[in-house]
Amino acid sequence: MAMALQAREELFRDYNIGSFYDEMFSARSTARGHYSRVYDELAALGSGQFQQRRELADSAFLLQGITFTVYSDGRGTERLFPFDLVPRILPFSEWSKIEAGLTQRVLALNFFLRDIYGPQQILKDRKIPRSLVYSCRHFRREAMGLEVPRGIYTHVAGIDLVRDSRTGEFLVLEDNVRTPSGVSYVLENRLVMTRTFPGAFQRHGVLPVHHYPDELCQILRSLSMRSTDPVIVVLTPGNFNSAYFEHSFLAQQMGVELVEGRDLVVNDDVVYMKTINGLTRVDVIYRRIDDEFLDPLAFRGDSVLGVPGLMGAYRAGNVALANAIGNGVADDKAVYAYVPDMIRYYLDQEPLLRNVDTYICSRPDDLAYVVDHLHELVVKAVGESGGYGMLMGPMSTKSMIDDFRTRLLLDPRNYIAQPLVPLSVCPSYDAASGRMAGRHVDLRPYCLFTGDKVTIVPGGLTRVALQPGSMVVNSSQGGGSKDTWVLRGED
Amino acid sequence: MLSRIADSLFWMSRYMARAEDTARLLDVTYHMLLEQSQDSYQLRWDRIITITGEQELFYKFYDEATPHNVFEFLAFREDNGNSVVSCLNRVRENARTMRDRISREMWENINTLYHSVKAFDPKVEIHNGPHRFCTHIVFASHGFYGVTDGTLPRNEGWHFLEAGRALERAETTARIVDVEYHKLLQSSVQVAQPDNHQWMAVLKSVAAYEIYRREYHSRIDPQKVAELLILHPRHPRSIRFNVALLQTALRSISGASPHTYASEAERLTGKLHDTLVYDRIEDIFARGLHFFLTDLQKTCRGIGENIARKYFYYAGVA
Repeated sequence: MAMALQAREELFRDYNIGSFYDEMFSARSTARGHYSRVYDELAALGSGQFQQRRELADSAFLLQGITFTVYSDGRGTERLFPFDLVPRILPFSEWSKIEAGLTQRVLALNFFLRDIYGPQQILKDRKIPRSLVYSCRHFRREAMGLEVPRGIYTHVAGIDLVRDSRTGEFLVLEDNVRTPSGVSYVLENRLVMTRTFPGAFQRHGVLPVHHYPDELCQILRSLSMRSTDPVIVVLTPGNFNSAYFEHSFLAQQMGVELVEGRDLVVNDDVVYMKTINGLTRVDVIYRRIDDEFLDPLAFRGDSVLGVPGLMGAYRAGNVALANAIGNGVADDKAVYAYVPDMIRYYLDQEPLLRNVDTYICSRPDDLAYVVDHLHELVVKAVGESGGYGMLMGPMSTKSMIDDFRTRLLLDPRNYIAQPLVPLSVCPSYDAASGRMAGRHVDLRPYCLFTGDKVTIVPGGLTRVALQPGSMVVNSSQGGGSKDTWVLRGED
Repeated sequence: MLSRIADSLFWMSRYMARAEDTARLLDVTYHMLLEQSQDSYQLRWDRIITITGEQELFYKFYDEATPHNVFEFLAFREDNGNSVVSCLNRVRENARTMRDRISREMWENINTLYHSVKAFDPKVEIHNGPHRFCTHIVFASHGFYGVTDGTLPRNEGWHFLEAGRALERAETTARIVDVEYHKLLQSSVQVAQPDNHQWMAVLKSVAAYEIYRREYHSRIDPQKVAELLILHPRHPRSIRFNVALLQTALRSISGASPHTYASEAERLTGKLHDTLVYDRIEDIFARGLHFFLTDLQKTCRGIGENIARKYFYYAGVA
């Protein structure tokens, strides 16, 4: 016991709970119930042993080449996606609530997309302004009136959640229903954790995550109109894409071909891949290329990543695409503000997960407020993701704010603003001090929609801002990730 | 199988074989020359560059073929596309574009190799001599083919890997024998006796020294060395052995039955294989070894081009 105490002082010495909601501690040195065993194990480990495990995990990632590409230095250097060994743990009861909220949300988003590219009932009933939808950068007229296989638009959705420190409540920060990435890290993080801390998983009763590729594959299989044993491919922009690892990982796990645009050809509205034995017909494409690059004939003519004629084959019903074309309209951050209304409209339910309060800058009143309160708001471009095109008011200088104000006033439709949500923190290893320190985290669960039901792999990706005080969790901006545990029911 | 993947597998294997061959050649030559006089020293380093076929590029960077320059050029220079480091970079690049198609252990192996090679400091290695580096590469190559052998299903992908390695080894051995004979004949005025040491080095560079001793029980006779390296049916570096492997691989891919062929590449391979089976070394010497080997290298290039035309054609179409 004396040993453990001494070691505990080592890793958690000077641990400051601060003013944020702490995922592990409810008060100084009092671990929350669902964290108590992990806390004891970490405390017993001591900093030397912890460091050893950390090196083990890092070398596992490096040798497996689980890296992402950074373009800023001109050479496209590969970096490790930093991995923090302290797991993010959710008790089953809390996860069940999240799961129910996400299910609702994904169903509503799918209804919305079917409606928008079909009868547009929600616009006729004036629940959402028509001008808002039609002015979305990612609204695709080409997708109007298209019958998508089994009515599924949002095959895969990554919904970003944050826990508000003031209330402890999970809020939805944004929806990603185009080509959300990161799920490979969920699976790889888990694999590395089981290697680094063998035994911990049985002791804790952590729900498994490795069925994700299988679930995804089942959905893709169900999309083919032609065959019960369809040819499925994963379409990647290529190995220079920052998410290439994930594309190849998913293809391998599902046992399907990973193709680039140049591997495919369209003939008489049928998609083929070029093999050593000639052309093989393709039935289903899980594409990880954005709409505008998919088909140079239909969208951007300068795209070399896509497949000429693909849109024609899609329209003819000869190939299924996941996710559907035009989903970006639901990702639009101004449309996001209406998702709670969509849930009420389509499902006749009250939303279980709330949005972050959002000012839509195309509304004159909202704009006036935003312009006067930029220093306390987070302003985001509606069509962007990955932390690009945003202003963090409270962390910005006056000149940055003035600069942004000018841009905002030139194109108000392109922006929304939200109060800064004080994200919860989770103890994370700080290499500089060799101790644990609280770092801000978010959560991105991955939701699969089968057409009948929503399946969510327990947990998801916890991203962590490893810089002290930072709330930006994006990997391109110094973020890392954690294994996310949902504990079995009895906990 | 996608044409692009077949292409990548074939070339990944070729580059790995090339990295190993270059490392072997460097290591053996270096150690043999430690025991040599200054004159032949010069001669020999120059010859290594000739074997790799990179004279022009080499003399763009350097004035002289010193051990230092040759080692740097063949092992580390990334602007030499055929240096060991360049080859291994390409192995990894190829592997990266198809990591869903190779086994996870193959990918980890290639990746580990890549990082271990990066950890070598060229300055230190060049100062200490090539042995440590070259041994690392040779065993890494064994490791690669071992992991592949143990984890990759024997489908078309496997046969493309086999074909790549076999073709690369056949060509390399042909080049080594050709350059050695060519240069030895030229220098025979200066070096009265064919130099035992040099032929031993040649044998060692293709891991054939022990086999030679066991098979021939004689002192090193250049004609017998040539026989071993060109016509031996079981030595894994001989040209005949590799052409036979290539033929098997190509047949497995196309499904052609014995005594038939499904492509120009298969026809050329089969014809070459027959020559290697039925010709004796005396016949080859009578016709002229250099002529024979030049012709053989041309055939190898033709086989490579025809494999590409038949199977990788689509890979080139945008």
